Amino acid sequence: MILVLCAFVLLIAFGMPIGFAIGLAGVIGLIDMGGAQFLAVGPSKIFNGLNIFPFLAMPFFILAGEVMNDTGITARLVKLAQVLVGRFRGGLAHTNMLASVFFAGLTGSATADAAAFGRTLVPAMVAEGYRRDYACAVTAAGSIIGPTIPPSGLMVVYGSLMGVSIAGLFAAGVLPGLVICVVCMGVIAIGGNRENLPKARRGATLGEVWRTFLSSLTALAMPVIILGGILGGIVTPTEAASLAVAYALFIGTFVYRTLTLRGFYGMLVRTARITGVIFVIIAFAGILGWWMSFERIPQMIAEAVLGLSDNRYMVIAIIIGLLLAVGMVMDITAILIILAPVLVPLTEQVGLEPIHAGIIFVLALNISLMTPPVGACLFVLSSVTGERLERISIKLFPFLIAEICVLFAFAFWEDAALWLPRLLGFA
Amino acid sequence: MKSWAEKASARINAAVEAMVAFLMLALVLDVWLGVADRYFLGWQLPWPEEMARYLMIWAAMLAVSSGIARREHIGLTALIDMLPTALRRAVLIVVDLLVLALFLYVLWYGIGFANGGASRQAMILGASLRPFYAAIPVAAAIASVQIALVLMRDMGQHSEPRHEEGTA
Amino acid sequence: DGGVIKFGHDNKADPFENPAHACTAVFANSLAAGTNGSVTVEVFGSNQLGTAAEHVQQVRDGILQATLTSTGALASYYPRIDVLNLPFAFADISSTYAVYDGPFGAALARDIEAQLGDVVVLGFPDTGGFFAVTNSKHPIAELADFDGVRIRTMTLPSHQKIMQSLGAEAYPLAWGEVYSGLQTGVIDGQMNPVPTVTFANFFEVQKYLTLTNHLFSPYTLMINRAFYEGLSDAERGVLHHAAENCVMASRGVSRVIEASDRGLAGLMDRMEITALTDAQRKAMADVAQPAFEGHIRENLDAKAVELLDLMKTEVGAANQAVYLD
Ligand code: NA
Ligand code: NA
Repeated sequence: MILVLCAFVLLIAFGMPIGFAIGLAGVIGLIDMGGAQFLAVGPSKIFNGLNIFPFLAMPFFILAGEVMNDTGITARLVKLAQVLVGRFRGGLAHTNMLASVFFAGLTGSATADAAAFGRTLVPAMVAEGYRRDYACAVTAAGSIIGPTIPPSGLMVVYGSLMGVSIAGLFAAGVLPGLVICVVCMGVIAIGGNRENLPKARRGATLGEVWRTFLSSLTALAMPVIILGGILGGIVTPTEAASLAVAYALFIGTFVYRTLTLRGFYGMLVRTARITGVIFVIIAFAGILGWWMSFERIPQMIAEAVLGLSDNRYMVIAIIIGLLLAVGMVMDITAILIILAPVLVPLTEQVGLEPIHAGIIFVLALNISLMTPPVGACLFVLSSVTGERLERISIKLFPFLIAEICVLFAFAFWEDAALWLPRLLGFA
Repeated sequence: MKSWAEKASARINAAVEAMVAFLMLALVLDVWLGVADRYFLGWQLPWPEEMARYLMIWAAMLAVSSGIARREHIGLTALIDMLPTALRRAVLIVVDLLVLALFLYVLWYGIGFANGGASRQAMILGASLRPFYAAIPVAAAIASVQIALVLMRDMGQHSEPRHEEGTA
Repeated sequence: DGGVIKFGHDNKADPFENPAHACTAVFANSLAAGTNGSVTVEVFGSNQLGTAAEHVQQVRDGILQATLTSTGALASYYPRIDVLNLPFAFADISSTYAVYDGPFGAALARDIEAQLGDVVVLGFPDTGGFFAVTNSKHPIAELADFDGVRIRTMTLPSHQKIMQSLGAEAYPLAWGEVYSGLQTGVIDGQMNPVPTVTFANFFEVQKYLTLTNHLFSPYTLMINRAFYEGLSDAERGVLHHAAENCVMASRGVSRVIEASDRGLAGLMDRMEITALTDAQRKAMADVAQPAFEGHIRENLDAKAVELLDLMKTEVGAANQAVYLD
């Protein structure tokens, strides 16, 4: 066990891609068990780790995001938000947050949000006089609203792994998503003078607002169509992403006429590559997870953690602490697969509703998307904008603290966390 | 040899990406068909759900080699950025060799896995599972070739620390 | 000697919550007590080591020593297991005991062993009783009530065939999608044993439940052959007794759950429940059975048809038999 842990830490420290390091650590574990039959488990874990229908939501939402970016749908939504709030100090930073809420209704992935805004809003903010590291930090902070407000790829994975109602998790995500937006806008406002944030040189006229609104109507219809497709019983939450792809393709081809065959080819390939990068981590995590389960390591962690306290609030705090700590060094999907089956029974023991436990997990893991050193949103933003990871992280710090406070608030205040799910009859 | 490796890697990758684009397109159409069948057509096709999973696995696994060719797999560079140049390059070469070993392992045992699928039947299509399971060894084989080629191409020079630009 | 049996299954590790773990717990206890601790059982529940189909492979490869697996998961290794889906066969759940403990169960076990080559089949535990059909459109009592109702089935052609023969539309949907699919109307209904309806909260999104009792789908309890042959004669004797106790426990717990709040009793005031008359059930059987047999003849081999014929004979006898008579 020590051997596997050392290998894992060393491999990651020396620059091996995370997914491969997890895989190699897992294989070292299999070798340590002795016997070729254990080594034969690996490929089966890779295949079966991915052989899950709801996982389709990820590539489809990424593809929908690609199509939206390339066809100008994203740009129109950004423009609309800009004319609405651009006139205030830090208006574009606020815009970024609000646009994340818009975008959240359309995508289920934080990295799609980060990639889209990294290409559109960050350059717009820099042109307006923002520092690039700050613009990236705001984008990163806002990007986790995407998988918090439904639809959400992470909730789909959580729900299908843990047998929790996905629709119930979706309902539970709405309020925290909006609160995160408000709290982050508060952080922008408070830090506005210290950061010397610019404001738009002039406010938009009513005429401009109206014209922008009209030109973004087709883009604004997208969330309506996706939600209509889900609520109207046409598609499941997983298939909704395919509806998003269809609508974006339709707009790009017939309305905006910006979509080309060559462009679409590129989107398919990019989508598959991003999917491959994410899925290879999931697949190899399956090997490491199997080895851990066979050696009963999760049970040992569970006993150690529960041994610290059996007070409800302490246990919740310990679980959140553990998730955030592990979230600094591991990809969130891998954490979900390996740790959720161990920790969720603990939440049951202290009487947490499954949906409440689920939303705590999802929020903590979403926040981990932007904690260095291993944070997928940081990686995406860094590679899209060319900004250094460390500098984004420094500017991100106040947002991170604020979002962790939101997480604890919803973890400890069950009535708030379950307000909407109860209203809709899920809890 | 370096430029040869670079060219070979790019050629193989172009072919893989064309394949992957085709699979992604098939995946999108498959899921659309499943939805349309249930909502409009009423054919009650048994295969779109299972087929979607297999197309997704093939596309994603093949794309892993593409991520290798472009060095897109997410990793940490903070520590190695601090190492002296010669040592850093040596470390990165060793890392590439270890990744190669990992994929050779997946290839070797993946062949056994896929052949084991020959005697197993897919729920739909009445077909054997081997062509679907083959995604693992085939993807591992291409990934092994790619990591070997990009190792020759980069020789540990692919992660040179970026120079700090002046703050704005 | 003896050794440790690593036993994997895909159910919650609580003997009072589900038949699979009840079976496993009794198996472990019987073995440890009967062999004075020379054979012990270490249980890995809750899918920790993979799906049910992966458990089968791991038992075959000697990584695990034992598992109990659903017919759906076994089907890819042993397609003939499909004959167990003979619809509307059993007059009562008690008939299933005689059939799966009798000549048919033995013939099935020997055929699975012959086909797989590396396992020994020890019995067929209960998964939670007969299948019921739920839906959100209208009560289903007559055969005609199935018309146009869109039912979710597993990705299993015979289940689709059965529903279609009744006049319903059958669509495979991944398990993770069923709840929200029922909620939003992507599909109208689904079929599963009653405890599953409770466990998955389907009563929240389904109004009508019909006790069709149209399918009974047992687990298959299996052990690695090399491990089995390494046991002493005495240990092997204890093992078979332990397996029998395991099967009995699964049946007992299934019946208790059915009778508790987690079964029909708990659903009574949440759903409109319909039980079928003999005539209604016969009308359904008369269309579903020929369609199913045609499906078996078309898709499986002569040996499968032979097993199906034996099953029909044994089911007929069990349905006629009177307890303690
Ligand atoms: Na979202
Ligand atoms: Na992180």
